[in-house]
Amino acid sequence: MRDVAIIGAGMIPFGRRDEDSLMDMLAYASLKALDDAGLGEKSVDAVYVGNMGGGIIQHQTSIASSLVDRLNLLPAAAETVENGPASGGSAVKNGLLAVASGYYDYVLVVGGEKMREVTGWRATDFVATMTHPQAEYPYGITLPGMAGMFTRLYMEKYGVTREHLLAVSLKNQEMGALNPYAHVEMTLDREGIFDSPHAVVNNPMAADPLHLYDMCPVSDGAAAIVLCPLEMAKKLAKPPILIAGFGQATDTHTLQERADPTDLKAVTLAAQKAFEMAKLKPSDIQVAELHDAFTILEIAESEHAGFFKKGEGGKAAAAGKTRFGGQLPINVSGGLKARGHPVGATGVAQVVDLTWQLRHELPKNRQVKNAQNGFSVNFGGFGNNVVAFVLRRVEQ
Amino acid sequence: MKKEIAIVGYKCKKCGKLHYPFHDRCLGCKGREFEKVKPQGKAKLLTFTRIYNLPWGFDQRYLTLGVAEFENGIKAMGQIDADEKTPLQMGMFMEPSWEPVRVQSGENVYGLKLTPLSA
Repeated sequence: MRDVAIIGAGMIPFGRRDEDSLMDMLAYASLKALDDAGLGEKSVDAVYVGNMGGGIIQHQTSIASSLVDRLNLLPAAAETVENGPASGGSAVKNGLLAVASGYYDYVLVVGGEKMREVTGWRATDFVATMTHPQAEYPYGITLPGMAGMFTRLYMEKYGVTREHLLAVSLKNQEMGALNPYAHVEMTLDREGIFDSPHAVVNNPMAADPLHLYDMCPVSDGAAAIVLCPLEMAKKLAKPPILIAGFGQATDTHTLQERADPTDLKAVTLAAQKAFEMAKLKPSDIQVAELHDAFTILEIAESEHAGFFKKGEGGKAAAAGKTRFGGQLPINVSGGLKARGHPVGATGVAQVVDLTWQLRHELPKNRQVKNAQNGFSVNFGGFGNNVVAFVLRRVEQ
Repeated sequence: MKKEIAIVGYKCKKCGKLHYPFHDRCLGCKGREFEKVKPQGKAKLLTFTRIYNLPWGFDQRYLTLGVAEFENGIKAMGQIDADEKTPLQMGMFMEPSWEPVRVQSGENVYGLKLTPLSA
């Protein structure tokens, strides 16, 4: 197996992009990554597109085939990868394996989703299609609803409080406000959403015990990377970012069939595999992008990935340990909470943000000083299909 | 024909592990033969939520949902018949019934409804 490096990274601002189609967004992000890689007119050997909802929302299938045609990357091999909200992470994994195997040299991976062209009612239903088709979906369960039930159990077992969730929300909104690619560039005020009469109006219950500002927004957006063998990447001007490790694991479809529904086994296993492959430990990581579709998930993932002991993640967030400048900055991009969550784009966007961090390309107010190793978790379903990556800066 | 979400437990004939929903291979021992088991008795509420942003197909202000465990060990999701003033807590007992849980193509779909019994 060959070592594989990221040589190009690109993203378009997430948010409500009424003027752009899904294909527009995928093309814009792809061109940014291709230009960043400095490939010029050279084509790529293969394209992997992470997308969850094109078939449902846009009534469009064979999206990767359309993209290579639009970008004139013909006759590159092209595939669309669908793995729910972990579609982006899965697309990156497919690109990584294709280059590592020696079959392809240059691969473009792009993730994108256009969710705002339908009503919230329809978008909520679209996301809920990942729940169990007989045992869950018919009852009207939503992903926020799954998160609400999980949060109640997690609070009971580990003593997570609303203060802990609030710390994640305030932190990620603060960082998102500094990120020009973020969907929600707005800081939040503790009093406005937590302990004042205004909070009842500003931050209503959404999926008990989770409130509106415990949720990520519904977003449009796309992000892309270009991969090639590390040995070839070393000849380029920018520092190559090695995909040092990846892991993927699955768990039961329904929460109720897990021996302990608070145990996110797939996160633990995916993270362990990624660290093992990278020959690194959680303590070697300087910056992490975790899948905070709901504030509780950042806390739970930070524990299951091995950064904090069970029951300590919420306290760590409240103590500022996961803030920019803290012991382990988590979601310096603003995370899904503020950067946004165009589902198929998220896993790729996390890798793009880490690439920028490890290249030391970000402005001072978001650049983790001298970051060498980064980590991401892309959480599919309700933890039933998880993809994790360890990225490492390679000095030339 | 009445549209119904049938809740049937599947007990592995090899190791006895109880499943719902159905799996082709046992989650415990990978056995492929199961005995069908109907849910029995009252149900204990394991967790719950009340959602205010509903999916397409639900034209109401909120929906209360939970996961409950029947006396014979089957665990299932259902809708909870409780308004905002009804206190709910994990561990309380619920009376199960099979009632309309949504409308599809103009027809009622029957599924698990849980009515709170006591704290």
